[in-house]
Amino acid sequence: MSFSELIQSLLDDTTRSLAHFGPELWLCGTILALLLMRLFGWDRLVPPYIVATAGTLVGFGITYFDFLNLEAAGEAEHLFTGLLVYDRFTIFFRLFLTLFLVFVIALTVLTGIPDREDGPDFYTLLLGSVVGMMLMVSANHLLILFLGVEMASVPSYAMVGFLKGRRLSSEAALKFVVYGAGAAGVMLYGVSLLSGLLGTANLPEMAARLNLVVTGEAGMADATVRTIVLSLMLVFVGLAFKLSLVPFHFWCPDAFHGASAEVAGFLSVASKAAAFALLVRLAIAFLGQDPVAWAGVNLSLGIAVGVVAAVTATFGNLAAYAQSNMKRLLAYSTIAHAGYMLMAVAAMMIIRHGGAMAVFSEAEARSEAQRAIGGLLFYLWVYLFMNLGAFAIVAMIRNRIFSEEIDDYAGLVNQCPWLCVCMLLCLFSLVGMPPLGGFFGKWYIFASLFQAGKVHWSMWAVLGIAGLNTVFSLFYYVRVLKAMFIAPRPEGARRADIPWIEGAYAGILSLSVLALGCAPLLVNSVSRKAREVAGVLLIP
Amino acid sequence: MQIGLSEYLIVGAVLFVAGVVCMATKRNGIGVLMGVELVLNGANVNFVAFARYTPLGLDGQIISLFVIVLAAAEAAVALAIALNFYNNHMTIDVDRGDQLKG
Repeated sequence: MSFSELIQSLLDDTTRSLAHFGPELWLCGTILALLLMRLFGWDRLVPPYIVATAGTLVGFGITYFDFLNLEAAGEAEHLFTGLLVYDRFTIFFRLFLTLFLVFVIALTVLTGIPDREDGPDFYTLLLGSVVGMMLMVSANHLLILFLGVEMASVPSYAMVGFLKGRRLSSEAALKFVVYGAGAAGVMLYGVSLLSGLLGTANLPEMAARLNLVVTGEAGMADATVRTIVLSLMLVFVGLAFKLSLVPFHFWCPDAFHGASAEVAGFLSVASKAAAFALLVRLAIAFLGQDPVAWAGVNLSLGIAVGVVAAVTATFGNLAAYAQSNMKRLLAYSTIAHAGYMLMAVAAMMIIRHGGAMAVFSEAEARSEAQRAIGGLLFYLWVYLFMNLGAFAIVAMIRNRIFSEEIDDYAGLVNQCPWLCVCMLLCLFSLVGMPPLGGFFGKWYIFASLFQAGKVHWSMWAVLGIAGLNTVFSLFYYVRVLKAMFIAPRPEGARRADIPWIEGAYAGILSLSVLALGCAPLLVNSVSRKAREVAGVLLIP
Repeated sequence: MQIGLSEYLIVGAVLFVAGVVCMATKRNGIGVLMGVELVLNGANVNFVAFARYTPLGLDGQIISLFVIVLAAAEAAVALAIALNFYNNHMTIDVDRGDQLKG
């Protein structure tokens, strides 16, 4: 190939790729606009949140347009010489992230956490973090995996420490950055070993070569194979940190406690969703090549992931019970929910193993695996509304009574009844009570676990633990509601009068939670879409 | 003696272990961050060595360039956070940050 041909093919590749890179480009453009505003002093003329909202809405619009043509996006397309992959899964998560970003920006406007002076900085960090997450969900190369994780993390360290003068905030940011940087370093070392041993950093090529290694006669005794398994575990450490799985969860309660509730809500939903997208991609790419040859690996890894999930859910729920601070309680509940969602990934692995072991037929195994991942995606959608709703209400109440302690919520129902009802809907949905969205999310995942149990009994044990956890989690959520609804408001306590616009915001979120449980048409269409999206990854 | 891939990997592994030990034992916040830098550079040595000796090729060198830039960005953010911690606590001993627990 001559030099001019090379340049031409690169140009063609780049122009083709840029056409599918619209939302990210818009967000980057918005970041630039925010920085320039700051430079020229325009932020005094136009409030920065208007620029941020406009840019995000355009990004959301582009993604939504792609989403409407979801069927048209057939084969996975590789962008930028194979660094990114553009398929239905990418579109689905871009839609999730941009919609969530719109909600978070609206929340920050309502509760006023970055003041006018700090607005451009805060929104720059927020949008930059989301761009990193969008790279994570479309990663097709180990470089993008690492870059995406770091681009998502580094701005969030700064956002956690955004309340500058507060002791708690600075302590939370320091703990977050120390744990986060350590986990990223360990992950990078794993990435370096993995790419070096397999001789490529492109995920599909790596999966093909890994397949050769596993199907070869070397087996686990070979030093190279053992090193590959170890380096995969190092990469998993980095992801487990993002997902706050036990034993890499220490940062989560401290960071959420010290950060403002808005930032905590952002971290608890967006970074979890992006990390789950990446985990599912990795798990299917690496373990899905040849289920028969991979039988042993799939089974043992699936059980290991299931055990981590069960321990994470149990730990999160037990630790949440003892909390007196609302943000800390929600942080432990976030950990527990990461555990529930990880169970879907474990179920998927075990079901694929079942397909290879002829417990299920090939087609059955595929559709059940699709159900498991579809359940995870549905859960993430419900989780967006219910968790953001809970954090938003914490932020609104904080602005009125200057406290986030559960005891100070006593008797709030007399002063802001509707907000308390919204909180009730969000918290009951977090428990998984019918007829709210959280019930169906849990139902899909538990059903997949039950199917996976037919392959290996350990999944039934995980299912039992998950069921017990659900019952147990009821107690600490109800404790909050008991304070809000039953306890009397102490004399002289601050009044919490919530303006209608904030109430409307909380109302939209909690009505979405209700609709995702009560409207059968909506539940069906969302879960069908989720299964369809999961299907593109599973079709070999 | 012929210097090959394994010698470079040993250097990388030593840097990685030194970094992890540094992260685990240092109580000074800046010391912990130095440990992180060691880990990142251990991985970088690996990347460059793999680029030279395996089919990974130029990908390895490109990744290491990206990592160098990212390490700088991360260090900038981390130092700003450490400075903010110092302003609020008058120390950068990470053990003194003990208000968040439970």
